[in-house]
Amino acid sequence: MLSLKRDKKEEEEGGGNPFNNLEKSTVLQEARTFNETPINPKKCGHILTKVLYIINQGESIGQTEATEAFFAMTKLFQSKDPILRRLVYLGIKEMSKIAQDVIIVTSSLMKDMTGKEDQFRGPAIRALCSVTDHSMLQSIERYMKQAIVDKVPGVSSAALVSALHLGKGSHEVIKRWVNEAQEAVNSDNVMVQFHALGLLYHIRKSDKLAVNKLVSKFSKHTLKSPYAYCLLIRIAAKMIEEENAGSDSPMFDFIESCLRHKSEMVIYEAAHAIVQLKNTTAKDLAPAVSVLQLFCSSPKPTLRFAAVRTLNKVAIKHPAAVTACNLDLENLITDVNRSIATLAITTLLKTGNESSVDRLMKQISTFMSEI
Amino acid sequence: MDGGLLEPSLYSIKAIAILDNDGNRLLAKYYDETFPTSKEQKAFEKNLFNKTHRANAEIIMFEGLTCVYKSNVDLFFYVIGSSQENELILASVLNAFYDSISQILRKNVEKRALLENLDAVFLAADELCDGGIIMEADSNSVVQKVAIRNDDIPLGEQTMAQVLQSAKEQIKWSLLK
Repeated sequence: MLSLKRDKKEEEEGGGNPFNNLEKSTVLQEARTFNETPINPKKCGHILTKVLYIINQGESIGQTEATEAFFAMTKLFQSKDPILRRLVYLGIKEMSKIAQDVIIVTSSLMKDMTGKEDQFRGPAIRALCSVTDHSMLQSIERYMKQAIVDKVPGVSSAALVSALHLGKGSHEVIKRWVNEAQEAVNSDNVMVQFHALGLLYHIRKSDKLAVNKLVSKFSKHTLKSPYAYCLLIRIAAKMIEEENAGSDSPMFDFIESCLRHKSEMVIYEAAHAIVQLKNTTAKDLAPAVSVLQLFCSSPKPTLRFAAVRTLNKVAIKHPAAVTACNLDLENLITDVNRSIATLAITTLLKTGNESSVDRLMKQISTFMSEI
Repeated sequence: MDGGLLEPSLYSIKAIAILDNDGNRLLAKYYDETFPTSKEQKAFEKNLFNKTHRANAEIIMFEGLTCVYKSNVDLFFYVIGSSQENELILASVLNAFYDSISQILRKNVEKRALLENLDAVFLAADELCDGGIIMEADSNSVVQKVAIRNDDIPLGEQTMAQVLQSAKEQIKWSLLK
């Protein structure tokens, strides 16, 4: 017990945080060590971590200082140390928006992105795309297309996500990568599939017919990724809204079929989408409401929260559809999570009749002080 | 609170953060313009911390955003998304975030260990989310991609001292909790 106390005391005296009192100027001064040869990966890695910490704390770094540190950092490409190399990629991403002439690292990053070390390739692509401007995009286009269909999931995902970031500015170039994205949707990897579907939709979203085809193709149980399913449900819901269609639309059938998916995430996304649609009748809502009712008694607070929040939305338009859940909602009034309890009460106030409201008011007053 | 349907997009995360038990930032990444300046971000973090540090309720609506969170000893992990975002997606990211950091710190999820491995923690956060897009939601894949040195020593090959050290830490923290 004595040593335990001592430990605690030592910790307090040491401040606990070795990064606590870092001075921006001192750290940037230390970054000059990067110019020394031979490179000491451990020491440089530690300094670079300090630089990243300073940036993460929200300290603003001036353009001149940033540029100087950026150029010092490029010297570290000579080292083969995996951790140091990865920290350099992070440093490049953090400083690419502040420092000048960042395109200087393009060739080093291109070498890493097409190199043999798989663990460098994905991160190198992401760093490369953060320094690439639209005039330079054409020169890396060929490599990006190859990376999208790469068999290493990390590489493919990195390329797809970077393409999407780049697509904000240069839609024309990204459009030409549609075939590669289409191939990547068939990947066995859940994240690659999700990213590829996202890119594909982004490219096609202005073409209604193409989006329609996209949904009907992938809604036939060809997706493995629950994340991709959630995205597809959102796309389908948007189509229904735009076409002002009702529950007779094949899109609606797809969303409803997702209520029987094995992943809770997908089931909830589908229920949420159905509830949010404009042209739904109380009958269309019934299956969605009953899965939400099941979620109300889940041991996971997040799931209970999600369910009761969605039921609360249903109660605004169709209070009658929620009455079946009243008993489950009453159990949630005393939930340890106050947000869940509050949502349950407001929902019940919308659906309940006079006598139940009286009872509710009594229950609320018991913990009113805690809110 | 309601804004109809969410535009289908891969961008689902607004911010991730790790705070210490005084609400100070150890790591924070903001992926959009909800809190444009560092001052607003820190104010948000302080308020969020004040709201969440006592009740471990896992999820809260805060300033019009959905925040899922988790804490251990002296660390608080947060994942923040829009109020229309699927809460379960945010929770899956939080779990991957927490579990990967826990693996990197060899189950010593506490401030001192985190600061000793800050480089790996930065790398893990980068593998988890890129510019607001979920990159990886499986903690094993995140740890594998971070590929930090001597991370995968199986129990049999650890020295007795290492095992004792980690046991000591665990007991210490369970007492201090």
